Amino acid sequence: MTVASNFLAFVALGLTLLLVWRQSWRGRVRLFVMQSSVLAALAVTLGVLARRPALVAVGVVFAVMKTWIIPRVLRRMGQGNPLRPVAPGRSAGLPVLAAGALVVVAYAVMLPITGAAAVGIPTRGALPLSFAVALIGLLLCVTGRDALGQVIGFLVFENGLFGLALLATYGLPGIIEAGAFLEVLVLVLLMEGVLVQIRREHESLDIDRLRELRG
Amino acid sequence: MIGARLALPLAAAGLLARARGRAATALHGAAVVGTLLIGLVVAVAAVRGTEATALGGVLRVDALSGWMIMVIVVVATLAGAEAPRYAADGRAFYALLHLMVFTMLLAVSTDDVGLMWVAVEGTTLASVFLINFERTRASLEAAYKYLLICSVGIGVAFCGTVLVYYAEVMRQQTLAEHSAHALRWTALLALAPALPPRVLEIAFVFLVVGYGTKAGLAPMHTWLPDAHSEAPAPVSALMSGVLLSVGVYAIARFKPIVDAGAGPGFAGRILLALGLVSLAVAAAFLWAPANYKRMLAYSSVEHMGLVALGLGFGGVLGVSGALLHVANHALAKSTLFLLAGRIRASYGSAELAAVRDLVAAVPFSGRAFMLALFALLGLPPFGLFVSEVMIFGAGFRAGHPWLAGVALALLLVAFAGLLRAAHRMLLGAAPTLAPAGALWPGSVPIVVALAALVVTGLAWPPGLADALALAAKVVSP
Repeated sequence: MTVASNFLAFVALGLTLLLVWRQSWRGRVRLFVMQSSVLAALAVTLGVLARRPALVAVGVVFAVMKTWIIPRVLRRMGQGNPLRPVAPGRSAGLPVLAAGALVVVAYAVMLPITGAAAVGIPTRGALPLSFAVALIGLLLCVTGRDALGQVIGFLVFENGLFGLALLATYGLPGIIEAGAFLEVLVLVLLMEGVLVQIRREHESLDIDRLRELRG
Repeated sequence: MIGARLALPLAAAGLLARARGRAATALHGAAVVGTLLIGLVVAVAAVRGTEATALGGVLRVDALSGWMIMVIVVVATLAGAEAPRYAADGRAFYALLHLMVFTMLLAVSTDDVGLMWVAVEGTTLASVFLINFERTRASLEAAYKYLLICSVGIGVAFCGTVLVYYAEVMRQQTLAEHSAHALRWTALLALAPALPPRVLEIAFVFLVVGYGTKAGLAPMHTWLPDAHSEAPAPVSALMSGVLLSVGVYAIARFKPIVDAGAGPGFAGRILLALGLVSLAVAAAFLWAPANYKRMLAYSSVEHMGLVALGLGFGGVLGVSGALLHVANHALAKSTLFLLAGRIRASYGSAELAAVRDLVAAVPFSGRAFMLALFALLGLPPFGLFVSEVMIFGAGFRAGHPWLAGVALALLLVAFAGLLRAAHRMLLGAAPTLAPAGALWPGSVPIVVALAALVVTGLAWPPGLADALALAAKVVSP
């Protein structure tokens, strides 16, 4: 179980780093879909190995939502957006380096949980990996140059949290899991509404144009 | 009863989504009054010491919940009475307003910290559309920032909740089948002394950053001035008046657990630091505000900072001061936002420079605005004076004279800035204004709110002291 969970969490982190490196939003959406599939596989694997049928169901719902529904919405949001949001010449090296540093940070923060003295469930070793995914998602969200990039960053953050919850608890109580799913879905749909309006107002999703409110 | 209290605004939201015209306004009015009455009955019973549970313990109303329910339904009534001015034909406006009230009530009356998280996230989703109701460029930008920043914040709070759950798992060393009680606050509190302290500490940091974002504590407050100044007045009133406090409430729920598990002091220190930073950020802006709605919004950062200080100083005095301050601030700030909405409608601008000779130009709204502003400044005879004295008294008593002194100095800076703004609004020659709308029925609740502020400042009704102490003991046993 430890091997499987470590491996899948590691793959998810690797895909996140690729996502930071990739500049085109279509490529990022594809990587997001791949990452979500890996996390869905993680849920199903844990569900089978730990004999938690509910967790298998969570994995299936997660897969439907994050590899099918949400990517469709993301592609709708991106319709007509330039493939690469930033002016050329910006290297992806620095963000990737920052993302690497965040992995170290994630291990440092989670030390009391994963340290030698700690006890707990067998999958705890992979917790910092998922936490790093969440932190890198946050980085994408903060440094995103356009609204679509920020939304993708937020979704990566959300994926990291899902992985964290899986590895720490083998799934949360049903009502919370359901509530969380529903809310991500509503949030993405609301975001689409807002983004459509931003594009209509500003003819771009570039967040540098959002500068009405200062002070 | 507590189930009915939650069902009412939810059902109203559902019905209002379909109603239109006069029927919608009438239904909205009935729902506001119904929510107020049932809410008060539940709240009064709770703050007198009768705990109520429903749905097998998922819903639980103790004295702290009762206090929050009272504040929520009162502000909902204030905002609800003003809403018809803004709703126009917007059916969604009423429906989402009631949905927002429902999510807030759910957040404060569930025993399950996971469900509380779902409800707090629900408040964000219900209010986004309301912020962007006027669909201007500025309100759109405010809504986007609000949705993104608060969702990230609530994600961080999710992380904290998961870690609390993990702490429980670690203690048991095995992952037992989920019991439905795993995330019950009452169960966590009972287990707390046995939970691993370092994990609880990390969890609390996540929870404070996450729910602190919703509470508008600096430095996570960046969405607040935009959202609160761009939303229609009733929505600003609800958000500034109670939604922020719901965020603080969520933090306050976790504080006794962390105090019991990680030792006293840790949670308090973090709250004190955030409170002080919030006061400093707000004071820096309030020194020279340019826009009176943004001024009110920054003042909310200031007052949430004060509430955080009260919780951080701790003890029954500090916590009851904080809770009283939540109620006082809710009354004063929601009144101010409602009146600011009317003033903006009359003058056609939210810039301070545009407002001249306020009292002569709009007699009722102008006078009420000034009275509420004086209340907000913490002048006697209004209630905020009393709750601020309680909070700072707790600070000196808890052995933080320097910290309390610095906080007082920052408060003084904000005081001077707000006073100067009031001065500018009162002087000058009045321009010719658009005629004000009808005063009734939105004005009666405003007068009642101002009267209530005098009551909490001068003459506490019998039972208020006991109720506060009882609610404070939940946070600081």
